[in-house]
Amino acid sequence: MTYKVTEEGNISTVFLNGEIDMDVTDKAKEVILPLVESGKEVHLNLKDVSYMDSSGISVLIESHQKALEKNTKVVVKEVSKSVLKVIMMAKLEQILNLE
Amino acid sequence: MNFYNSAVNQISETKDFLVNSSSLKDIRTFSRNVFDKINLPQEQKDELVLAIAEAAQNIVKHGYKGVEETSDRMEIKISLKDDELEIGFFDKGKAVVPENIKHRKLDDIKPGGLGTFFIKEIMDAAVFKKDQKGWINHLVLTKKI
Repeated sequence: MTYKVTEEGNISTVFLNGEIDMDVTDKAKEVILPLVESGKEVHLNLKDVSYMDSSGISVLIESHQKALEKNTKVVVKEVSKSVLKVIMMAKLEQILNLE
Repeated sequence: MNFYNSAVNQISETKDFLVNSSSLKDIRTFSRNVFDKINLPQEQKDELVLAIAEAAQNIVKHGYKGVEETSDRMEIKISLKDDELEIGFFDKGKAVVPENIKHRKLDDIKPGGLGTFFIKEIMDAAVFKKDQKGWINHLVLTKKI
């Protein structure tokens, strides 16, 4: 997994790339959670994420819940078809902010 | 070229992997390579790869909980006979008590606890067999495809 972060005003966008599994969740959390904890609105762009397992889904849930605690939000954007299927299997499409 | 013409209905492929999260990518590659030989919609192949990866992840995460590093290996066997797909997982981690395996309730939104749910959603059955053949655990996932 690789990533790139861009900033625009109070919005940080994290572009994740590759496959997100248990092996890379710590790395993903290290990138995303500090941004959320700083109170910024965080956009996670998943257009280049080709695979995500339950560990990756856990990162999305943790980020979402941390954002609620901090009165901000995490928006999950441009989800690839294969990742959307996993999100829907977990019945999270109504919970996460998908755009 | 029609790749489906060369699809087979009988497969038996086995590979072993180091018990480590870094092996998950190799496990997916192995699974994808096997499923490329079978005439199945891509979507179903992706689901099967996810189920295999989740079962392997459970071995790393739960079977070896508290173990920093191990040289142990796990073995994965993918077999297809006609329309019966069987995926076997052998490991030497902590003995699994099948009755203790639970996935979290989906409406209890929290990180974790989804892997087993995904396996149950994707596969027809997940059974721990008693024929461990020198291993500690032998999980068998089956699905009619």
